[in-house]
Amino acid sequence: MNGSSARPSRSSEPTPHGAPKPRRELSDLQFALVVTVPVLLFLVVVVAYPLGYALYMSFHDIRFFGGYSAEFIGGENYAGVLSDSAFWGALWLTIRFTIVTVLLGLLIGLGLAIVLRDLPPGWKWLRALIILPWAVSPYGTGIFFAYLGRGQTGFGTAFANALGIDEAINFISAQWVIEYLAFGNAWNMAPLVAFFLLANMLTIPKRLYHLAALDRMNRFEQFWNVTLPPLRFTLFVFSCILTVLALKTFDFIFTQTQGGPGNASSVLTYLIYRISFVNLNLGYGAAMSFFLLALILGLTGALFFFWGRKVSR
Amino acid sequence: MTRKRFSIWLILAVAVALLWTFLPMYWTIKYAFMTKTEIASFPPLSFPPAPQLASFFNIFGFDYTLPDGTVIPASGQARQVMLGLRNSMIVSVIVTTITMVVVLPVAYVFARLEFTAKGKLLAAILLSVSLPPVSTLIPFYAVYVQLGLVGTITGLVIVTLTITIPIVVWMLIGFFRNLPPIEQLARIDGFSRLYTFTRIIVPMARSGVLVASVIAFLFAWNEYVYAQVLVTGSQAVTLPAAMSGFLFQVPEPAHLAASLLVSLLPPFFIAFFLQRHIAEMNLV
Repeated sequence: MNGSSARPSRSSEPTPHGAPKPRRELSDLQFALVVTVPVLLFLVVVVAYPLGYALYMSFHDIRFFGGYSAEFIGGENYAGVLSDSAFWGALWLTIRFTIVTVLLGLLIGLGLAIVLRDLPPGWKWLRALIILPWAVSPYGTGIFFAYLGRGQTGFGTAFANALGIDEAINFISAQWVIEYLAFGNAWNMAPLVAFFLLANMLTIPKRLYHLAALDRMNRFEQFWNVTLPPLRFTLFVFSCILTVLALKTFDFIFTQTQGGPGNASSVLTYLIYRISFVNLNLGYGAAMSFFLLALILGLTGALFFFWGRKVSR
Repeated sequence: MTRKRFSIWLILAVAVALLWTFLPMYWTIKYAFMTKTEIASFPPLSFPPAPQLASFFNIFGFDYTLPDGTVIPASGQARQVMLGLRNSMIVSVIVTTITMVVVLPVAYVFARLEFTAKGKLLAAILLSVSLPPVSTLIPFYAVYVQLGLVGTITGLVIVTLTITIPIVVWMLIGFFRNLPPIEQLARIDGFSRLYTFTRIIVPMARSGVLVASVIAFLFAWNEYVYAQVLVTGSQAVTLPAAMSGFLFQVPEPAHLAASLLVSLLPPFFIAFFLQRHIAEMNLV
């Protein structure tokens, strides 16, 4: 193809020099292959290879003491995980953390969206402030909520003292640490949920609210019958996003509680990290990480199966 | 629904929303303006009694003299922090650039063209979004040790791309789908594919491209898990990894808060000015 003549003119008229020269053009499939294959190759090399390596490790007993050795032990690591009480404990914490994160994230997101929607004209700039927590990194959020929640430094203690109660209020206790962590995670993600819900809410025709008023619906009925139905698809998508993020969370817990107090917040990612990096039991850690991956795919699949199929855009 | 002015309930709701947004940040950030003894006092202080900027000087390697003559010495980690700030910038900019150049055509192809195995390829890309970093961390580390990529910017850029590429592909597919198919007309008019793409599609998708690149930047800037393992203590240390020294080795809440505030400035700037475009992202 020759540079100058192949470049079409900007005018909408047909090319002035008669019929366009026959050019060798890629078919749709060829074009698709040319742009996607390099990216897919990159992803295969840098994602599938580590994953394959992890699979290899999960079938071996890898030792560092007295020189590196990897001995093939078949499915022993997997069987070990299934009979490991630490795994089942961490699994329960992970699921609890995920459920609370999703519920709080959606509810608080919905609340924020309603507040942002009802802002009077001239106050819309407040939206730019409410989005800020979303820009905070997970490790930063972890640090924020660590200082906010600890009895020694926390807001609870300062507040109680202001009321004249001379006591340390600790949110990071063995009993409630998971809920507190989920609360922090929701703080991080709720603004994004709110912004998408807000965008949806603004497309609801005002007419419907007038009709609702004619039907003498109260506020709650109006919210339930007019505002909520168009939001269902967004809520579904964000429940998937929040589920995946909550199950993957590591740095947020690492900077906030380091799995503590005791093992009270040692969710699966943290347990895998301990096994692999502290105990250097690489094969076992790899095997456990595949259970986590299965959990992530299983839960998002279940969400889609029970909810996603019923809602559409 | 169409309230035009503030009612008492709305004022209350806005106040709660602002408190929810800012209290968690404020509670840590206030340490940046306090001295060690003020931070250690019990019950905890809600406001810095004598705000000063010592920590900001300290983390960049300067001593600071308080009005009463006490000198607060520079942090021993100042070099790491400054190196981290520089490297975080470099890594984030490189990652954002590569991500956008690579992802734009891919997302376009997935959104517009029909070809065999499209569904499976898309599923493969989305699968890599759901991979937890802890499961790929050790394999990456093992491979990087052999390739000599531990503690290098190149190494960190490669891992970070595995995070940004799938997410940005996913976001942009939805965005391209919602654009009117004007480029089909351009193609009928005889424009080449490359010309159509660079002169018609990308300009039409401006706001989507902007938001997607910002999101790639945020992910790269905020990445901590890989950085902690791959570059801590090396010449390629990034800001989050450098900061973790104030958290774990010798806890320095004041310096931690100061460097955290510094690290939050670029994301805040971006989020503040782009918030109106965020929901155009068709994540949904």
